[in-house]
Amino acid sequence: MSTNRHPIEQEELMAYLDGELPADQASEALSHLELCPQCQSLVANFRVVSQELMAWEVEAPEIGISSEINAALAERFQKRETAKVSWPRLENRVMTSRWVWAGALAIVCVAVGLTLTLISRNRNEDRSTAYPSMASIEQYLISDRNAEIALARSAAPESISSDAKILVLGWRGYETAREGKNGFVCVVERSWMSPFNSAEFWNPKVRVPGCFNPAAARSILPLTIKRTEMVLAGMSKAQMIDSIKAAFDNKELRAPEPGAMCYMMSRAGHLNDAIGHYTPHLMFYFPLTDQSSWGADLPDSPVALNRQFQGGPEPITVFVIPVGRWSDGTTAPAM
Amino acid sequence: MTSDEALMLEFQGGSRAAFEELFARYRKPLYGFFARRLNNPERAEDLVQETFLAVVRAASRYEPRALVRTYLYGIALKLLAAEGRKFLTSKASGQSAPEPKTEGTPDCALWVRQALEKLDAPEREILMLREYEQLSYSDIAELLRIPVNTVRSRLFRARLALKSYLESEAKSNPALRASARQPHPGRRGMQ
Repeated sequence: MSTNRHPIEQEELMAYLDGELPADQASEALSHLELCPQCQSLVANFRVVSQELMAWEVEAPEIGISSEINAALAERFQKRETAKVSWPRLENRVMTSRWVWAGALAIVCVAVGLTLTLISRNRNEDRSTAYPSMASIEQYLISDRNAEIALARSAAPESISSDAKILVLGWRGYETAREGKNGFVCVVERSWMSPFNSAEFWNPKVRVPGCFNPAAARSILPLTIKRTEMVLAGMSKAQMIDSIKAAFDNKELRAPEPGAMCYMMSRAGHLNDAIGHYTPHLMFYFPLTDQSSWGADLPDSPVALNRQFQGGPEPITVFVIPVGRWSDGTTAPAM
Repeated sequence: MTSDEALMLEFQGGSRAAFEELFARYRKPLYGFFARRLNNPERAEDLVQETFLAVVRAASRYEPRALVRTYLYGIALKLLAAEGRKFLTSKASGQSAPEPKTEGTPDCALWVRQALEKLDAPEREILMLREYEQLSYSDIAELLRIPVNTVRSRLFRARLALKSYLESEAKSNPALRASARQPHPGRRGMQ
């Protein structure tokens, strides 16, 4: 295969399949893949290899914690207890001058506290100053329209996204790139769909592909379109928040319809700098709901509360459920 | 769900429950790791225990710079290397090493094992870490102490080689290959 005819190397294509390409390159890979039969064949071969390897499953026996580990645990915890108990003894024998020790301790605490405060402040400043304001609009746009279409489609399995309506971001907002037949709408959201207090609200690298089902396309997607229009109109965050509140008050924006949900199973997205493409998941939208009603964020619960709209002007609760596969059917790494 | 890293820190702080949770999460993946590389179920089970024993003994040295998952497979790789050295020593001294146990292994597993054995060892290890342990390129690079680009290129070569083996095997032994595609009754898959 001549690399002259392919904008990406075969190894990069493989890295894309493994979810190891940065979002911009992944988007390019996806776009090329849609049009290149040779690369589709290579990808199919890689998938077959993975599937064949998965045929070797190992049935694990029920393994309990061995007596040796139990003994080591007991010893470890015993040492910790001994260390705790031995402090007062040490104090009795050694700390003849309590005030000298207290003074020294205070100095150390102040020094450590100052250091931690400075480190913490520096880190917070790094995060909050990385994207302090909106970048130029070009940086949020994807110049290759086909790449954006492919990226939007990658949010859901092909059986859903191939018949979905596709929106792409243009200079004046989202525009229809492909009409759909099944009521789903796929779109690549940008950083301003983050919470308003997010440090990455203006991160131009963010690309969040999603395919909204018909209920969400009617009741949730308008939020995306509205926020985007306000951003492109140059409104401040405060103005946007006020405007969203007013839009809910005057019924321009509505509560989520029953059954509103969104597929987010793309391996090529970039949700933010902290989590990259994250893990494939489904999102479910509700009017403000107590997270405990879904058992969200409880130990071992697969349901998590998405804080996208928490504390924001939109009266919406979003729950997230990770799924084990990317939209192309390949297995996703465990979280 | 509490992250592995938070559990590890809780364990460092004295929580037995946190250790038990980590054990529950990783005993099966680690068993799979050893079982595939040793083909000796009893020894694989022992090495799972040894991995966690090492975790207990070195708990105070764990730093949350690395993912617990990477940390555990790092220990597992060291134990596996030690196991390999023991095997060589016993071979040199004329003792017979235990034969890999293959009874009860489904045909599909045998076929995959044979295919993997044809790969160069470094490429095979990278492929297995990626496919079975689901480690990222950077995790593998860190574990094997090689550049990420090397991981990528070796993984690429390994997959191409396996694909080529697949094709030739499909022609020469269609019956075995067909059996590889049948679902194995009772399979649960990796956790």
